[in-house]
Amino acid sequence: MAPGAGRGTGQFYPADSPLHALDPRAKILAVAALVVGLFLVDSVAGFLAVGAALLCLVQVSRVPPSTFLRLLRPVAVIVAFTALFQVAFVREGEVVFGLWVFQAHSEGLRLAAHLALRILLLVAAAALLTATTPPLSLSDGIEDLLSPLKRFRFPAHEIAMMMTIALRFIPTLHEEARKIIMAQAARGADFTEGGLIQRVRALVPVLVPLTVGAFRRADELAEAMESRGYRGGEGRTRYRELSFRGRDATALCIAVLIPVGGILL
Amino acid sequence: MRISLEDVWHVYSPGTAFETVALRGVSLSVEPGEVLGIVGGTGSGKSTLAAHLNLLLRPTSGRVLVDGRDALALRKSELRRRVGLVFQFPEQALFAPSVEEDVAFAPRQMGLGPEAVEERTAAALGVLGIAHLARRPTRALSGGEQRRAAIAGTLAMRPQVLVLDEPTAGLDPFSRRELLGVVRRLREEGTSVVLVSHDLDEVAEVSDRLCVMEGGAVRAEGTPEEVFYGELALAPTTVRVAARVRESAPGLGRPVSYDETLRSLRALIGG
Ligand SMILES: Nc1ncnc2c1ncn2[C@@H]1O[C@H](COP(=O)(O)OP(=O)(O)OP(=O)(O)O)[C@@H](O)[C@H]1O
Ligand SMILES: [Mg+2]
Repeated sequence: MAPGAGRGTGQFYPADSPLHALDPRAKILAVAALVVGLFLVDSVAGFLAVGAALLCLVQVSRVPPSTFLRLLRPVAVIVAFTALFQVAFVREGEVVFGLWVFQAHSEGLRLAAHLALRILLLVAAAALLTATTPPLSLSDGIEDLLSPLKRFRFPAHEIAMMMTIALRFIPTLHEEARKIIMAQAARGADFTEGGLIQRVRALVPVLVPLTVGAFRRADELAEAMESRGYRGGEGRTRYRELSFRGRDATALCIAVLIPVGGILL
Repeated sequence: MRISLEDVWHVYSPGTAFETVALRGVSLSVEPGEVLGIVGGTGSGKSTLAAHLNLLLRPTSGRVLVDGRDALALRKSELRRRVGLVFQFPEQALFAPSVEEDVAFAPRQMGLGPEAVEERTAAALGVLGIAHLARRPTRALSGGEQRRAAIAGTLAMRPQVLVLDEPTAGLDPFSRRELLGVVRRLREEGTSVVLVSHDLDEVAEVSDRLCVMEGGAVRAEGTPEEVFYGELALAPTTVRVAARVRESAPGLGRPVSYDETLRSLRALIGG
């Protein structure tokens, strides 16, 4: 398997789809448009319309929906909590129903629904971007979009490179953590028993070697990059040039129209 | 103790795009007191197999038996203590400030008292020949010394079966020989050893039995003599040379290790 293919992290999902073929800049701008748009949408019908459009895009992306569900599950927990909070503490509008000492007001329910749908759709849109864009293209795209700021000495290249490296090493760290956990478990470490303090203490034998390994890797990588002539963004050319074509413009227009549709509803 | 695998299959990340079938119906046993060598190419499933011997990985299907009983019925901690597993590059999991403390980790986890912990730590360091490094910081050791410290960390549990996954990978020839010496010594003391290796010469030298893995399945199994002379493609260079010489000199016998081959050849020339 190619390194960085993201085994088990649920990020990039290689497939042959129109979304995968788009210019990363178009996709980043599209997601940005969606994010802004989602903050302007103000009706449940509007959110559902945007959700339906995203579902169509998932279909087009040929990424199995289960991949997204896996990403959305942890977010859903947080969303559920915030929504409950809204329902419990917003006191505007009429009382819809009561439970124990809490009363759900219509305004609270409305806000909770909006908040939950907004966050879930934001995450889904971002997940669609990372699932269909290899990390390298993603950071190339970001660098390109940030490059006008270079005039103001903004380190666009360095930031993009840091992002690429971080993304590249997520699966590696994941794999290394898995190995170290297994090795310590073989020596009798137990991560599942005892109280909170005991569990935190049980993590020391994992975190120490993991950190040491990460620093060693960082050193090795820096040496390898320098020995191959890396010297930052100045005058650097790219192996793969990005090209923004007609279809990318079309895709961007569609992406802008999706939330506009949602706002009008 | 005797560990047997019965028709064990293992699938990594089932149901995802990265699904990999790493073991395809492996049946194999580790007999009490033997050295079992496991060889095979990269990705043939050796490490996956090794991690099944103490159920750090569970079979997707099939069973692991310990002395005839299903290993799943044993307590996890008990099984991990009786079957000591040393992973590939175990030095990456060293974490304590000093060698001594790192080696003491496992016996402490077993809940032993301070004297017993100390005694086992000292004994394990002694077997690996690194008693003099006990108080050194783990990070201030050479790679080979770190490897031995890590192996001592598992040996301190006094396992009945010690599983070593490529213990000699990346070591210099001298450290290799020493480590093979440790394997022989453990065998003499009655510990079974499972030795996973890429180096045919080294497994030929210490193994009572061999298992050749290929594509997640057992390709061949038996004494080194049976396996190597059964299929010369699997044999180390010394055995291939011996087999060629045997064609014209049947008196050579079927030597397996370097020493045996040398002795047989000398006898042939001398007599
Ligand atoms: N954590 C994992 N997730 C997914 N697939 C894995 C994982 N670990 C191993 N594999 C795959 O399972 C197969 C067997 O791997 P295993 O590590 O058991 O091989 P090996 O014989 O030990 O190889 P090597 O000699 O390189 O150590 C390989 O195809 C490997 O890519
Ligand atoms: Mg291996």
